[in-house]
Amino acid sequence: MKIFTPLLIAIPLLSFSLFSSAEIAVVVHPSSGVASLTEDDIARIFLGKSKSFPSGAAAVPVNQDEGAPARDKFNEAVCKKNSSQYKAYWSQLVFTGKGTAPKDGGNDAAVKALVAANPTMVGYVDSSVVDSSVKVVYKIP
Amino acid sequence: MKKLKFPRKLSCVTLASFLLGSASLVQAADIKFSGFLSVGGGFVDDEKGLPYGGYSEEDLTFDSNLLGLQVTGNISDKLSATAQIIARSSDDYSLNSEWAYLTWQVSDNTKIRAGRLRTPFYMFSDSLDVGYSYAWITPPREVYSLPFNNVDGLDVYSTGTLGSFDTSIQVYFGGFSDEVDFNGTLAPTKTRNQMGVAATLGKDWWTLRAAYHTADLWVDVTQAPLSSTATIGSFAQTLGAFGFAKNGDKLLLEDDKTTFSEIGLNIDTGRFVAALEHTELEAKDSLLAKRIREYVMGGVRFGDWLVHLTYSRSKDDTAHPEEGIPAGVALPVVGSTNFLIGTLQAVAATQVETRDVKTIGLRWDVTSGTALKFQIDDVDDEVDGDQKLFSVAVQTVF
Repeated sequence: MKIFTPLLIAIPLLSFSLFSSAEIAVVVHPSSGVASLTEDDIARIFLGKSKSFPSGAAAVPVNQDEGAPARDKFNEAVCKKNSSQYKAYWSQLVFTGKGTAPKDGGNDAAVKALVAANPTMVGYVDSSVVDSSVKVVYKIP
Repeated sequence: MKKLKFPRKLSCVTLASFLLGSASLVQAADIKFSGFLSVGGGFVDDEKGLPYGGYSEEDLTFDSNLLGLQVTGNISDKLSATAQIIARSSDDYSLNSEWAYLTWQVSDNTKIRAGRLRTPFYMFSDSLDVGYSYAWITPPREVYSLPFNNVDGLDVYSTGTLGSFDTSIQVYFGGFSDEVDFNGTLAPTKTRNQMGVAATLGKDWWTLRAAYHTADLWVDVTQAPLSSTATIGSFAQTLGAFGFAKNGDKLLLEDDKTTFSEIGLNIDTGRFVAALEHTELEAKDSLLAKRIREYVMGGVRFGDWLVHLTYSRSKDDTAHPEEGIPAGVALPVVGSTNFLIGTLQAVAATQVETRDVKTIGLRWDVTSGTALKFQIDDVDDEVDGDQKLFSVAVQTVF
């Protein structure tokens, strides 16, 4: 048993360092009819390919500010783009009049407040700040 | 891509009100500014050789700088006005309004625009001036060779899905008037009844594109010199005097049906990028060669670095304005029809480009929004010989 003790401590430590960034929750207004979204649904909304939820209701995506840890994790996990690729993607659309990048809504608390106040908005925040003012429709572990 | 909300008293800032006169009438106009900048320099390997990409000196010069500013004002929920002005070092930094249009968002998926628009000739036409949006310093010059990129008119742009694929279609109608360089002479140029369609089909990491355009094209080449005493215009008259008016017409670009077609593929998996395009330009019954141009590019990303290789080429087909003139018939003054045939063939030959270019490039994303790029182009031209261009650029969006 003595050999196992350090191992038992090491495993959670290892997994903690590998997954040190916390879980991210994609959130909408509590009154929204949207119960859950797939990663593809969310990517389409955040990449400007769709302006509505699968139900047809209008969807307005809101980003966290550049440099926010949640933003980089979200863009890589859902949009499959690192921060440079994400910027290059939008620069192709913005300067052509073909699209408008999601607005930058600030940090976890600011985005939560925006979503809580706007029934059409969809945002993402660190799971730790989620409360009853918003509804979780997708989780990124 | 910063967004500024202007208080009313600032909404008459000269620039904004000039560009968005209609928007400034609206209370608390919602105005967005976006900008892009490119600072570039380069030198060629042999300054006695062919100038390439605007560079002709063996010493490093910084001659391809560009600053662009785009302003969009929302007039209402459905209506917005956009203007893009660009200052280029090659143009002495004089301000040029490249685009200015009104957008009517008909539905979530469809918009109609009217004004001066970017012509969707190529895969990267839309963001041609925004170097940050692609891997190269400039897209392959052999393919991206049309001297005019904008059109005054209107278009309809619609996006949709087809099964699990994303689609887009853009249809436009219009025309433009400008002056373009023709064999060293500025030639008044215009298109009328210019129309085209560009469509894309894509999914996740790939996009397929095809476009077709048609127009009636005028390029006033009559003043272009043929020799110390003759111009293309005077030679066309000479042809007419000898009874070959039809061949004179074939020499000129007057109301000639012109078509441009493109197919392209763009791939970006995150790790690997690739792009290819094939284009053909044909002006029927004119001295312009059928321009057949293509490139293929592949690259690999290593974190913030992207290494890419491109092979591009021009393989034009010579026009035949001499067709129909019998050879070896004696003529007064010029001796024989062979003189006419020879001159016509020589003029047509000046319009042909046969060239291979191998490019190796490196892009480093210094920060989000800023890229530093290095590029070496190895040019092999059938007529003008070999050349190498070494260039560097910093390109940003903000």
